[in-house]
Amino acid sequence: MKSKLVLSFNPEASNLPITHNLIAKHGLLVNILRAEIDEVGGKMVIEVSGKPEGIKEGIGYLKESGVGVRPIKEGVRRDDEVCTHCGACVSVCPTKALTVDPETKKIVFNEEKCVACGVCIDACPPRAMEILI
Amino acid sequence: MKQARRSNAKAGRGKSFGEIRARADEGNAVVMTAMEFKEYVRANGAGKAAKEVDIVTTGTFGAMCSSGAYFNVGHSDPPMKIQKAWLDGVPAYAGLAAVDLFLGATELDETNNMTHGGAHVIEDLVRGKAVRLRATAHGTDCYPLREMDTYVSLKTMNQAVLMSPRNAYQNYVAATNSSGKTLYTYMGKLLPEFGNATYSCAGELSPLLNDPYYRTIGIGSRIFLGGGEGFVVWEGTQFNPGVARTPRGVPKRPAGSLALMGDLKQMDPEYVKGLTFTRYGSSLGIGIGVPVPVVDENMANACSVTNDKIVTGLFDYAQQRRARPVLRDVTYEELNSGEIEVKGKAVPTSSLSSLYKAMRICEVLKERIVKGKFKMTEPVEKLPLDRPLVTLDVRTEKEAMK
Ligand code: SF4
Ligand code: SF4
Repeated sequence: MKSKLVLSFNPEASNLPITHNLIAKHGLLVNILRAEIDEVGGKMVIEVSGKPEGIKEGIGYLKESGVGVRPIKEGVRRDDEVCTHCGACVSVCPTKALTVDPETKKIVFNEEKCVACGVCIDACPPRAMEILI
Repeated sequence: MKQARRSNAKAGRGKSFGEIRARADEGNAVVMTAMEFKEYVRANGAGKAAKEVDIVTTGTFGAMCSSGAYFNVGHSDPPMKIQKAWLDGVPAYAGLAAVDLFLGATELDETNNMTHGGAHVIEDLVRGKAVRLRATAHGTDCYPLREMDTYVSLKTMNQAVLMSPRNAYQNYVAATNSSGKTLYTYMGKLLPEFGNATYSCAGELSPLLNDPYYRTIGIGSRIFLGGGEGFVVWEGTQFNPGVARTPRGVPKRPAGSLALMGDLKQMDPEYVKGLTFTRYGSSLGIGIGVPVPVVDENMANACSVTNDKIVTGLFDYAQQRRARPVLRDVTYEELNSGEIEVKGKAVPTSSLSSLYKAMRICEVLKERIVKGKFKMTEPVEKLPLDRPLVTLDVRTEKEAMK
């Protein structure tokens, strides 16, 4: 099983060897998709894969350590009422999470592919994309 | 009627605008969306299409910077000759009599964050919202009031009219960026080192690309505008029909454009949208639909044009000059494929105009015509084919008069 998570750190939690512990203690594979951490804390987008129990325990461990954990779906949101399906976001998204449906020409947002990089936020003319982390 | 029309078409004389309109009035016109018509011609040829089809509906939805609206907000008591006015913080031009205001789409909120402008105020009004009107005046004997702070909405105004000097561009350029930093432009966010390319035209669905020589679209044409009805009132500004064209006559660069007017009170927020181009400012996203009568086989040919036959130029916006060199010509088919090649590199593309909404508009307009709710009008004056485009240069008074 795979799960994409958005982690947010306060300064204390930034110093913990959390990726090491996730790998060593919970038997998870950790793929760091994005990290922005400095002295005042930061955020990290990771993909963990492993057994469902392992992932559950890993998330428990992170929360105990004071790390904020949210599934990526809660990281970036598109307001479908606002989206005009223009496509301005399509060519800036590094992971192809935003694509054109060839039939309807609607712009499809595939949250599974999103790594919450935020590049599309200020590229969207009606401001339909929102980053929540 | 049907018989007569068919034999006229067969004789190569086509059908007149009046005949087509009469058929539409009787509910007998054959109406197709631009998408359907192109398919029909592919399968049956332009000759048959000219005989069988009366009207093709075209549409576009995109950022149209040269848009605006004027309002008559009514007289106050005591009356006021408004000299300066702000609608939700966005300056409106008040140099028109006492209580007529003009609000431009790209006028920015004076808080200067460049994210809120006239276009957003126009959308809010169309949504039925109230906006704050602040106004100041010198005060005169006939108009003594000097200050006003109130709310207005479309319900409280006498007239609220969209009036756009330049909309519905016939073709537009594509943009990319060779520099090492991200550029924020009216063509959207352009990533460094040819990181992406953007374009802003509905291609084969776009009204003026289906009538490249303005045979049927002209001053007085009734159109779908922002969900309501409007009219073509003049040639659009920067009208430039003399650009290079393909063998079929389709302009390869921005060419014609339309000046449009329509009642804001009829409009639908679905087709009127305040847009923000980061670090450029605001622009108005507006939906436009134009019915094109298939008067003869030439017109059928024109309306059968497809994206592989429509070309535009790709320009490097890192060149901050009026005349940027063209990097390459590119078709809308290539642009719509999601990727084009630039200097040996595969560059992802983004449309800035909504093809989804353009298709919707073609469908809605077709439905309105079929149901007899939308009456086509014949232009009262043609758009020009011989308009040169001039530039702004530093010149002396004498040079300016030459
Ligand atoms: S935040 Fe936007 S640009 Fe970044 S991956 Fe997600 S959808 Fe793509
Ligand atoms: S840029 Fe914004 S409005 Fe345009 S398709 Fe993407 S999310 Fe929708």
